[in-house]
Order: sequence, then C-alpha cells, then structure tokens
Amino acid sequence: MSSLSLKGIRKSYGSLEVIKGVDLDIKSKEFVVFVGPSGCGKSTLLRMIAGLEHITSGELDIGGTRMNDVEPSKRGIAMVFQTYALYPHMTVRENMGFALRFAGVAKDQIARQVGDAARILAMEPLLDRFPKELSGGQRQRVAIGRAIVRNPQVFLFDEPLSNLDAELRVHMRIEIARLHKELQTTIIYVTHDQVEAMTLADTIVVLRDGIIEQAGRPLDLYDDPANQFVAGFIGSPKMNFLPATIVDKATGRITVELTNHDKARLTLPVTSGVVGDPVTVGIRAEHFGMGGAGDIDITLDVDVAEHLGSTSYVYASAGGEALVVEREESRHENGNERITVSISADRTYIFDDKGHRLR
Amino acid sequence: MAQTRLDRNEQINGWAFVMPALVLLGIFMIYPILWSLWMSFQVGRGNNFSFGGLANIQRLANDALLVQALTNTIIFFIIQVPIMIVLALLFAVALNDATLRFRGLFRTILFLPCVTSLIAYSSLFKSMFSNDGIINQALMSLHLVSAPIPWLTDPFWAKVVIISAITWRWTGYNMIFYLAALQNVDKSIYEAARIDGIPGWARFWNITVPMLKPVILFTTILSTIGTLQLFDEINNITQGGPGNGTMTLSMYIYNLTFRMMPSFGYSATVSWVIVAIVAVLSIIQFMIARDRRRGA
Repeated sequence: MSSLSLKGIRKSYGSLEVIKGVDLDIKSKEFVVFVGPSGCGKSTLLRMIAGLEHITSGELDIGGTRMNDVEPSKRGIAMVFQTYALYPHMTVRENMGFALRFAGVAKDQIARQVGDAARILAMEPLLDRFPKELSGGQRQRVAIGRAIVRNPQVFLFDEPLSNLDAELRVHMRIEIARLHKELQTTIIYVTHDQVEAMTLADTIVVLRDGIIEQAGRPLDLYDDPANQFVAGFIGSPKMNFLPATIVDKATGRITVELTNHDKARLTLPVTSGVVGDPVTVGIRAEHFGMGGAGDIDITLDVDVAEHLGSTSYVYASAGGEALVVEREESRHENGNERITVSISADRTYIFDDKGHRLR
Repeated sequence: MAQTRLDRNEQINGWAFVMPALVLLGIFMIYPILWSLWMSFQVGRGNNFSFGGLANIQRLANDALLVQALTNTIIFFIIQVPIMIVLALLFAVALNDATLRFRGLFRTILFLPCVTSLIAYSSLFKSMFSNDGIINQALMSLHLVSAPIPWLTDPFWAKVVIISAITWRWTGYNMIFYLAALQNVDKSIYEAARIDGIPGWARFWNITVPMLKPVILFTTILSTIGTLQLFDEINNITQGGPGNGTMTLSMYIYNLTFRMMPSFGYSATVSWVIVAIVAVLSIIQFMIARDRRRGA
C-alpha cells in the first residue's frame, strides 16, 4: 500500500522520445488508470514503473524510496499482463507459488498464501489444472492470483481485459473493482478502453504522445475536460465537435457563430478568445435538447438510428458534418427524416484552434 | 445409381493421383525393407546365399567386432549427444537475447557448418588433426603440449576428433530448432519471471527447458538416429581405425556388405539390430520426456 511519485520521467529509444516528461503523484490505495490511444506511451510508462524498461531520466519513488535502478522483483510491485504470461508447464498452484519458492518462503507458508489467494478469487477447484485447460477469464484470474500471492505494495495491470470477450470483460471489470475494495492496495491500470477507465478509476490519467493531457477523477474529466483531446477521448459516444467563429466579445462572455448551421449564434460565459478566431464547439450526444428547448435549434438529416431500448443514438449530418445525438424518449427515427434538436450554451465547451479549452 | 458411379469415379481418380508416389515408395522403400528382413535370414557369401534360419542371430552373439562397433557407437551417442544438445540450447538462448550485438553474425557462424558438405568438412578435420596438422602445430607453439597428440593414431584421441567434428557440424542444426521454439515464446513470461524475482539460472532451468521439452525430445531422437547411422565422418577421417577404435555400426555394416567377404544376409541382420536399438532408445526417451501429468 504505497504511494508513488513520478518526477520528470522521460524515455527515449535512441533519438525517439516516447515519454516526454511525466509528473504524477499517486496516493496510497488509489486506483489509477492510464488511458490513451495506442502509441501514447501508457504501457511504456507502466513498464518503467515495473522496472521492465529503463528510465532515461527523471525520478521514480515507490513508498518514498527511489526505485529507478532497483530490480523489478524488489520494487514491491506485481504485474498482470495482457497475455496473462502464465508459466504453461506449471499448474495453477505452481504458477502462483513460483515466486515464493525463490523468495525462500517455507513450503507450508506458500501453500497457505496460495490457498488464500485462490479463495479470494474463487478458484480453489482449478488449482491443479494447467493454464491450457482454463478459459481466458480463468487464466486472467490465475495471473491476478499470482500477483496477489506476492503481497505487493502496488499492483500493475497492463490491458488485462483486452483478450477477453465483451461479456467476460464486464464481469472481470467488476471483479477487479471488488478486489481493489477488498485488498486496499494501490493499483495502476493501463487500458485503451475509456469505459474501463471511467468505471474502475479513482483517478484517470489521459496520455497522448508521451505526455499527460489531464489527470483527475473520472467525472471531473467528463464534465470539465481540459482540452479537446480529453473531451473527445472520454465519453461514449464521442463528443460532437462543431466548427465556429468568435463573432462578438463582451465582458465575461463571447458569442460564436456555428459555421455549418445557418450561422446560428451561441453566447457563452467565456472570458478568453479573440473576435474572428476559429473555434470548436463541443457538445455531448446526450446534451442536445428537443427542438425549441435550448438556446438555438439546428436541423439535421438522419443517416442511421440505433435503438437500444433504454436509449437511441441518432447519427445525423448537416452541412457535411456528422453528429451523433442521444434521444432517450424517441424510438421512431428510421434513417430517412430530418430532426430538429436544440443546443444550450451552458452544455457546450469551447476549444481554440490548438484544442485548448477556452474558459 | 448415378451417385455411386460418381463415387467410384472419384475413388479411381484419387487412387490414380497417389499411385505414382505409392509405386515409387513401394519399389524404393517398402520392397527393400521387406527384402532386407528376408535377407537377414540368409547365409552365404556374395550372391550364393541360402536360407539359414536363425544362424545369423547366433552369429551376432559371437561377433566381437560387432560388440566393438556397438560399444563405440554407444560411446559416441552417450558423450556427443548430450554435449551437443546442451551447447545448442545455450547458444539458442544466447542468440535469442535481443540485447546481444551482432546477432545475425553469430547466428550465421553457428549455422554455417550445417550447410557444408560432409565430405568437405571431414576432409578438413582430417588434415587439421593430422600429426603435423594445424591443431598440433598450434598446441606446440603455445607450449601446451611437448609432443604432437596422436589424434588419428590413438583410439582415444581418434574418438575425441570424431566427437569434436560431429559436434561442430550438427550443433547449429539443433540450435535452429530451439531458436525457432524460443521465438514463439511470449516474452511476457520472462518479464513475469523477472518481476517474480526468479534468478537467471532458474529462468533457464525452470522455464526455458520445460517449455522446450517437446523440441528437446525431437532433436534428441534425431541426434540419436544420426549417431547410430554415423558413417560419413568415420569413413573420411579414420576409416574406423585405428584398430577399429572408431568403428561404428554403420561402418561395420558397410564393411560387411562391400569390404570384407560380402555377406549380405548377415549385414541385413546387423541393420535390423540398429532398427531395434533406435526403436528401444526412442521409446525410452519418450518415456523419460513424458510429463508426470498432462502438462508440457
């Protein structure tokens, strides 16, 4: 149950820099999720914490001790891999006890610890099976069990659910959440799936191109994204982005004109921005209102409608730009009509042409 | 009715396609095998042979030269195969390390012996290990020995030369199998082992070796068969000498058939002895390699 601190962490492969200065403090018992598109450096960062990748520069502290050059096995961490990485020629019991054997733990003590972990994960009947005799979900449980047995200060998960089918992924997600509650340890979890990030994390760290775009509580990131990238990455379906131009500015507010929607104008409580600058207006699918219920109305041609029962997603376009609208009360769109929806200024986000949030 | 005719047509077609291969296999493999089995009960010299019942088997029991050839072959097998397998494994693990520099170069150096001709390399070994060859000259000039080592004229040293030669020729060949198997191993397994704090020797012994067990078994059987058929190197380097000191079973069979008084029947019997030995050794190896449970 250690805290972690990353200060100015960088990683280069030759002249290619993949982690470009990461500063992050992780509290003890916190569940932190690194999320980002592939190639953003999230796995590399995790592997640097694990000690599987050398830290080019910066400082890594775990539990207050500098760990840059400490062997992976001595960092007080345990890791669960995407491919499970079980020892294929060993039974579940042997897989879980293997590390303890080499740590000089007595045989009866190993048996007890393996038994405890098996009980926590409800896999006592599987202890004498080989990995190839297990399903994907069971293998992942063994991999988690192998981590638990070592009683680590910090758990590291590297895309642990990516190889599972959708149903199992939901199931294991809940299992991991339950485990965190039960074990009360620090967890760092890497995923590219923002739903996993939203549901599991105490803190989400959004990475792109080797830097942290934003770190914070899931709903803070959702409600108050720092930039267009985070706004677009967190939330499903993705936030809609409408091109616009600042046309007027007064004290404490600006007015923008939507480019593709009959020059409709929205006035927002934003203090930055310059008249004439191009901006992007962001609005989430569920924040469109019924026609006439907001500040402005826009009319869209429906392309496709997905009726999921509890809600409907309408994929529509106007002026060559594609939007997705969530309509909870509506089940009748079939893809051939025009709909009018409203936008409320207080439900929108404004980003400048570099993607920074204007506030 | 039409259906059955179609079926029969297809069957005839199928057989027609495989027939040429089957005929060739029959003439050049199955017939000689059966013929040699029949021959193994014949006695006589050259083409004058007659059915001798178990006479050849009785002759086996009193054949001192056969015992010597068998002993030599077993010595080659017991000493050379383990050395080669262990070397090949170590080389494969070393070459599989992504941090090793000049990997391609080392891989080529280790595999190159496999593509050299048996005759060419064994002639080279013969000249290198001759009394005034480069090996003796080097050892003398380094003052490691005071007199030339009788590499090819002493039974012990001749065996050393043969074992060195076949180890040089075949280690890279076996290594390629291990390297291919290692490259299919998920790297995360070794990373997990590092995080688990498994020391390097234990990663090799408790992870690599068990995971390669099927391949090790395969190469061991191949090498066993190869050693029992050892002929080219012996024929080129020592001709079985000195004083039958490196005579192998294959060499002995060759001599029985073509060199000494040609005795086709008896040499067929000795050939079947090799078959029996290979079968027994392979079964033993399978039994040793079989896991105590269902794994591997």
